[in-house]
Amino acid sequence: MPSVLDAWFVSEILVHEASLAAYLRRCWPRPDELHDLRQEVYVRVYEAAGKTLPSMPKSFLFATARHLMTDRLRRARVVRIDPVGDPDAWNVLVDECSPERWCGGRQVLARLARALDRLPDRCREVVWLRRVEELSQKEVAVRMGISEKTVEKHLAKGMRLLAAQFHGEDGLPAAVDHHTTGRRMRQGLGPDGQPED
Amino acid sequence: MDSLRIEQAAAAWLARREGDHWNPAQAAALEQWLAADTAHRVAFLRLRSAWEQAGRLKALGAGLPRGRVPPRGQWDAAWPALEAASAVDAPGPRARVDAALAGVRFRPREQAPPAVGGRQRLAGIVALAGLFALAIGASRQAEVPPASFHSALGEVVPVTLNDGSDAVLGSDSRIEVRLSPRRRAIALTRGEAIFDVARDPQRPFVVEAGERQVVAVGTRFSVRRDGAQVQVVVTEGTVRLEPVAGGSSLPSALLPAGSVALAGPDGVSVLSPGVEAATRRLAWRDGDLSFEDLPLAEALAEFNRYNPRPLELADPSLATLRVGGSFRWSEPERFVDLVEQLFPVRAERRPDRVLLHRR
Repeated sequence: MPSVLDAWFVSEILVHEASLAAYLRRCWPRPDELHDLRQEVYVRVYEAAGKTLPSMPKSFLFATARHLMTDRLRRARVVRIDPVGDPDAWNVLVDECSPERWCGGRQVLARLARALDRLPDRCREVVWLRRVEELSQKEVAVRMGISEKTVEKHLAKGMRLLAAQFHGEDGLPAAVDHHTTGRRMRQGLGPDGQPED
Repeated sequence: MDSLRIEQAAAAWLARREGDHWNPAQAAALEQWLAADTAHRVAFLRLRSAWEQAGRLKALGAGLPRGRVPPRGQWDAAWPALEAASAVDAPGPRARVDAALAGVRFRPREQAPPAVGGRQRLAGIVALAGLFALAIGASRQAEVPPASFHSALGEVVPVTLNDGSDAVLGSDSRIEVRLSPRRRAIALTRGEAIFDVARDPQRPFVVEAGERQVVAVGTRFSVRRDGAQVQVVVTEGTVRLEPVAGGSSLPSALLPAGSVALAGPDGVSVLSPGVEAATRRLAWRDGDLSFEDLPLAEALAEFNRYNPRPLELADPSLATLRVGGSFRWSEPERFVDLVEQLFPVRAERRPDRVLLHRR
């Protein structure tokens, strides 16, 4: 499955997620649609790149985001939803948008460590035992006294939360108190409604 | 929300793949799931790349007793320097990024390069050039093969160019795009196009139209050809209108946002109707033609740019009647109906054209 296109997408597009998220958040007034918007931007970029690889991926990414918002705005106008956003504000000077490249190994590690610490307790435990100590799923299940299925669920949740932190979309201030973090994590669990055990 | 569900499904796949019971049948099922929708694939790639990076966390486990999950927060104390070094992770990054973004707009490039003073200045410029090379060089390919785009009569075609710029082709128009590391060269060989230029100070964006060219760095403008005449409308930033390289000694003009320039063989005339009025001139992109006190003959010419069945004046004395308003360019019949109601005009509707007579 690893293909040139996939590698390109990870190294040239995903590295800009923090900038992209900031850009979308600034332009688009409905926070609940941001996740969806981001995904559609990625889909468009990936599909376009399958035909020709853009020579300037970051510019291409932001142009795609701008297009998508314009399209949605246009559709929204047809059904007379309140006008949203300010198209004039969409022309961001992309090169100055924000810091993005994944930096050196130590910085990445620091970021990952912080992301790890923001996981809910059980989830953090599973991630630590599986990813760091490389225990098998079964061993983790026995040690924690939960089913293997539950280990897998915690792992999947950890993957999502880590990705959000790592790619930078969810760049919470470091000095957030624990209570807030916990609540946010539960929101992150969201519509799948899986209970925490 | 759909995208959240997809992300959850992608995470479930990834967790299962990492689990103890992964087998070829499941691998095949995953491939199938990924192939079913690009949204699945990008969601999966996103989670997988973060999970692969998370393998670095093993470095934290080195030297710790196995089987015990360390308490939170002990890494932060270990590397206070990293906190400061990594701007992305520093407290309140979002606020800072937003503040930095708030004032950012396309800005025209400085015209004259700064005069180089002493050694230090030179060093600064070299360093800056290096930064640019870092920022842009990594992703830029040597040269993209030339591409051409065109639209049929009555069509408006949006195009995203390889450098991230957008173009919208008006009816019956054609552009040829040649991107190189030094220059983005667009030839407008017929018709009209709006350009929304991705900013790239290292590569000017040059639109050639016959004897003229329009040079921009990051801005929005349109160029249109009418025979030997070239019309340029600028709605954002600044562009420079100049003769093509090696061309005649035609004057060049700097056009700020809100200007409309008409360049003919004899020279350039520039109007400054303002950004709003300039933007109205580009309403064709959304299917509209917006006239303000325009001679009827010119209004008909506008409709004829989009429609195969031309509107023509049988009586030249009608040419100077003046019309205003917004019209759909795809509906010339409605325009003719209105003209018949408002003016002493009778339309003769032939299969291949519509003739306007004085009533």
